[in-house]
Amino acid sequence: MAYSAEISRANPSCFVFLIDQSGSMADVFGAGEGNQKKADGVADAINRLLQNLVLKCARDEGIRDFFHVGVIGYGAQVGPAFSGALAGRQLVPISEVGNSPSRVEQRNKKVPDGAGGIVEQPVRFPIWFDPIANGGTPMSQALGQAKSIIDTWLSQHPNCFPPIVINITDGEASDGDPSTAADEIRKLKSNDGDVLLFNIHCSSQRAQPTVFPNSETGLPDQFAQQLFRISSALPPQMATVARTEGLNAAEGARGFVFNAGMVEVIKALDIGTRPSAMR
Amino acid sequence: MEIYAKEFCLPKRGSSEDEYDDSSSAARDKSRFAVADGATEASFSREWAKQLVRAFTAKRLSIPIALDELKPLQSKWENFVHRHPLPWYAEEKIRSGAFAAFVGLELLVGDSGGAERIWRATAVGDSCLAQVRGNEIIKAFPLVDSASFGNCPNLLSSIPNCNGNGTELVMQCSGTWGCEDAFFLMTDALACWFFRELEQGNKPWNLLRDLDTQDSVSFQEFIANLRSEARMKNDDVTLMRIDIIS
Repeated sequence: MAYSAEISRANPSCFVFLIDQSGSMADVFGAGEGNQKKADGVADAINRLLQNLVLKCARDEGIRDFFHVGVIGYGAQVGPAFSGALAGRQLVPISEVGNSPSRVEQRNKKVPDGAGGIVEQPVRFPIWFDPIANGGTPMSQALGQAKSIIDTWLSQHPNCFPPIVINITDGEASDGDPSTAADEIRKLKSNDGDVLLFNIHCSSQRAQPTVFPNSETGLPDQFAQQLFRISSALPPQMATVARTEGLNAAEGARGFVFNAGMVEVIKALDIGTRPSAMR
Repeated sequence: MEIYAKEFCLPKRGSSEDEYDDSSSAARDKSRFAVADGATEASFSREWAKQLVRAFTAKRLSIPIALDELKPLQSKWENFVHRHPLPWYAEEKIRSGAFAAFVGLELLVGDSGGAERIWRATAVGDSCLAQVRGNEIIKAFPLVDSASFGNCPNLLSSIPNCNGNGTELVMQCSGTWGCEDAFFLMTDALACWFFRELEQGNKPWNLLRDLDTQDSVSFQEFIANLRSEARMKNDDVTLMRIDIIS
């Protein structure tokens, strides 16, 4: 059965995040009532997601290298987007990610007080990735870089749980139709299944949010429809997890999220990054 | 009559002995026995599992376990994990607590020392007990078939207030025991295999009874074979075998 490989230190998997850093990411989100800039929201989401990934792999003695992670930014430039000590690195073992945030901020987290109320508790919030919004949207080029990274990874890890590419963008590629570059990624495979490409579309339009649709009908513009078409179908195991999380992932659901709030985006990303048992 | 207890353990394939998160304990007077399965995805679950089995065999936990009795253990766990300064991820992970499934058995001998002997057990989650008499299984607890094993068993948390009121969490059971009985306390991977064998008409206790004897394979070899044939999931495995001999 595909997508069932055990993820272990001997057989790790990898994630590549592609982050749109074009000038339009300085606009505010279409979803929700807030005035948060898309670039700020996406940076928060990626930092939160990297934190979640590190926590999944943390054990008593430290962080186990179940995953290697790459973050590629695309805007005025296309390339590795980690800040701090990891700057310039393409694919980094998760233990190094956990031990090398560029800084750790203090934030407040709302937690139950055990007596039915909520209290604010200070927590440490590590930062690996800072918001940038500058230049065009060279999405095809970014997908090409992801393909080359994963190609190399698969030659070294042929039996791994299939790598996952998560592209977060506000829409229109400025370097042509990304479908060909996306197809090239989805054609890659390990012995456990095809590489997965998921897309998160953060639009400035005030259109209905959509999580894991199974049809492009109802998506508001050609860019959302295009991103839907280049997204992989959710493997059945992930669709099941999505449904238990209260998300509607019908038969044929794709790994595509349109205009959802950042809470939904993080939830959706968490499903993509919770593929199977880690030993 | 003699009671013999033997513990077997093996970490996940690919993990070292230091990374084994189960725990087991037998009281010196052979009146109480327990195994616990620390959740690997949480931090410091091995320590939590160890505290649970030791407290049970030292009779600091009742049957059924009362959640108030866990408070000293929870404080001890909290002190243990904070004995050194920790990196951000360890701090964050500890905030979620450690978790463990548990099964504990007590063998009671009546005052008269007569034939009526009672056993009592308490359990949380998918660590299981099986009682065998002669060549038949006469009791399984708390799970009774292989279909009942899932990915989200009930677990005891090291964080106070995270165990609800305990009524849906903590199970209890009792029965009678006698000479020639055997009890098997097992963490989930082995218990699931045990029930699957039973469902196929086999008598898996015969294999477990012979382990580490001259005529049989070692526990390590036995589990390695089941894993390589994909008949058992790759998990920490713990067995406490209790034989009662007249």
